[in-house]
Amino acid sequence: MFLRLLYQSFRRQQRRKLLAGIAVTLGVAVATAMIAVGVDVGDKINRELRRYGANLVVYPADAALSVRIGDQELKPASGGTHLKESSLSNIRGIFWGHNILAFAPFLETQLPTRSGTIRVIGTYFDKQLRFGTEEFSTGVEKMYPWWKVQGSWPTDGSSDLLIGSQLASRIGKQVGDSIDLLGSSARIRGILTTGGAEDNAIVAPLALVQQLLHAPDAVDKIYVSALTKPEDAFARRDPERMTAADRDRWYCSPYANSIALQLREIFPGARAQQIRQAAQNEGTILSHISGMMLLIAVASLIAAALAVSAAMATTILERRQEVGLMKSLGATASTIASLFVCEATLLALGAGILGFLLGDAIAQRIGQAVFHSGVAITPVLLPMVIFLALLVTIAGSAAAIRRALKLDPVLVLRGDA
Amino acid sequence: MSVRASMFFHVLKRGLLGRGNRPLIAFIALSVAATMITAMLSLYQGLEDKLNRDFRSYGANITLAAPDGKNLPSDAVARARSILGSEALVVPFAFAVTHTNRDEPIVVAGTEMDQVRLLNSWWSVSKWPSGDDQALTGVRAESHLQVDHGGFDLAFAGRSLHLQYYGTLKTGSDDEDRVLISLKIFEHWTGIGPSILEISLPGSRDQITTAISQLQVVFPDMQVRPVRQLLQAQGAVVSRMRSIMLASTLLIALTVALCVFSTLTSSVLERRRDFAVMKAIGSSQSTVNALFAGEALTVALCAALVGYPLGSVLAALISEINFHAVVTPRLSVLPLVISTDIILALLAAIVPLARLQRIEPAGILKGE
Repeated sequence: MFLRLLYQSFRRQQRRKLLAGIAVTLGVAVATAMIAVGVDVGDKINRELRRYGANLVVYPADAALSVRIGDQELKPASGGTHLKESSLSNIRGIFWGHNILAFAPFLETQLPTRSGTIRVIGTYFDKQLRFGTEEFSTGVEKMYPWWKVQGSWPTDGSSDLLIGSQLASRIGKQVGDSIDLLGSSARIRGILTTGGAEDNAIVAPLALVQQLLHAPDAVDKIYVSALTKPEDAFARRDPERMTAADRDRWYCSPYANSIALQLREIFPGARAQQIRQAAQNEGTILSHISGMMLLIAVASLIAAALAVSAAMATTILERRQEVGLMKSLGATASTIASLFVCEATLLALGAGILGFLLGDAIAQRIGQAVFHSGVAITPVLLPMVIFLALLVTIAGSAAAIRRALKLDPVLVLRGDA
Repeated sequence: MSVRASMFFHVLKRGLLGRGNRPLIAFIALSVAATMITAMLSLYQGLEDKLNRDFRSYGANITLAAPDGKNLPSDAVARARSILGSEALVVPFAFAVTHTNRDEPIVVAGTEMDQVRLLNSWWSVSKWPSGDDQALTGVRAESHLQVDHGGFDLAFAGRSLHLQYYGTLKTGSDDEDRVLISLKIFEHWTGIGPSILEISLPGSRDQITTAISQLQVVFPDMQVRPVRQLLQAQGAVVSRMRSIMLASTLLIALTVALCVFSTLTSSVLERRRDFAVMKAIGSSQSTVNALFAGEALTVALCAALVGYPLGSVLAALISEINFHAVVTPRLSVLPLVISTDIILALLAAIVPLARLQRIEPAGILKGE
């Protein structure tokens, strides 16, 4: 009898059930979408910011002081210590290797040419590297997407190079011209505009500069762009003074400081540290953005809950006559209440799953439209939102059910209540 | 007031106040809609300012440099400040290569310490110098200096300067290789004036780009350059967040609106008996419509007036918790919130009314 009542209620009152169902579906959808976007937006913006330069730097610990003012290196190139180029691909193998988005080695020198002393920077443009069985490419094309090249990028194995735009106009060189470097001739493949010191320099493949300097395998500095977690008090602690458990936790968190330590481990005798300008300020922006999105998600959750409760309350208030009839036929209050609760539960489950799917789709659309990539949704979210839907639907119905039960069946059936 | 009109208002009042909690539910639903719409719109409007402010903490977004080997004109700082206004930070830097006791070259920069402190708030500094002979030493430079009795000597073109060791600077950039002293002492010692102005301007990417062309006009011989990666990152993040917020606002508004719609629609439909009675005792269709519309309007207006302050408080709370910044309520949002609520309520009344009009009153009253 109970099941039949339940079944008939869904079959006969399709409009009401539809309206309540729509309310629950939409409420769950918006909650799902907002939570998914709110959780993921930090990661997305982090990647976005990481496209604008490095946040870690590695250089030999005993490197001489750089004596540079503006674009000019005022110190003759010294035969200081270098890092090993051959260790570079190991960067991929550190604990947080997959958080390393890009890196680029640099080797610099000043070369005398016919048009005066010119600063020459050797680096990777888009170098193919291999770590274990994994192939990947890295270099300045990935690290500095704001570098503009008129002409084309040279390949890493060649003796072609880029010339900075200011230098090019000063010494009157164009794309396709050759330039004489220590007796060997190199072709200019493109003119580089960066808005920085490189505008006044030549940027060449690392191998070419090593050859010019007679310094095989040598690298001055490595810039690394890594996805990191905003720094907190724990991140700033000194790992040397931690307990073993704390140190493990510190080591296994993607803080800029712990990634720097892992980089030091593959370059013995090197200093690796965060570039504070990037690392510190990004943390602020990221925590602001994800904090705001999460607060909005919570607010929309509450709003959706209120809206769903209101919708549920209305549908039950409409059914006072039904309650009156059932009561006059001898149904107990608990039977009636359990009927309504069962109805609400079925509604919440059905509409909740539908809403989750809809919310998932909406979150994906937002992700695609704004970041050109999907939004990661954790499966934990499904039971969570279903539970919330159940809670809200039943809570929204409860007050209305109590009211409906309190009414005198006679008055209700006569239409006086 | 005519009898007709007073009757109309009497029925309206009874409809609103004498009918249990049904108008209350509509009111709650519409208030929630108004609250969320107000909060989201306020946050959306304030977001760009806040993000731009966050990006300002990166430091300079424009550099103005003299051509190689030359100094800036002596009034450059004052002129740049007067063009850019008091909100902008303009910090001069002068550089010279000096030598330590062991004849090792080291770069000394002269600057205005209090301004640098504002400009580069991300610098990690153990102690900011306040006196004139106090130096801020980069962490790498420090290991190359021979510090005794809290001081060290540097020589420039045969003139030596004794500086007091004061604070250590950590940045992760070339600044760690330098010693920073106050510009006044620096100029007195070396006779070299500033060659670079680091400028931090508030505002959006477009405003900064405009300022750059302004500066270039005033300083035609100098190189005025944007810190390009910073401006690009700022532009990208701000526009992405704007889209995200807009999408969220629309999504939330739409959901809340649809829930409100379904609540209101069913509550109007439920009153088909009132509707039938009114028609049966001779009121015209337009009077009935006006009555329902009047009810909807009143509830919507009250809900908007309650929802607006609630939403403003919510927005203020969110930005206080998150950005530690006070947001003033935005009056520009109010008309939009009121009209959305009213349109929502009217729409929710019109749809069921149109359906009811097709039905004979007698049918409804007989319960068919």
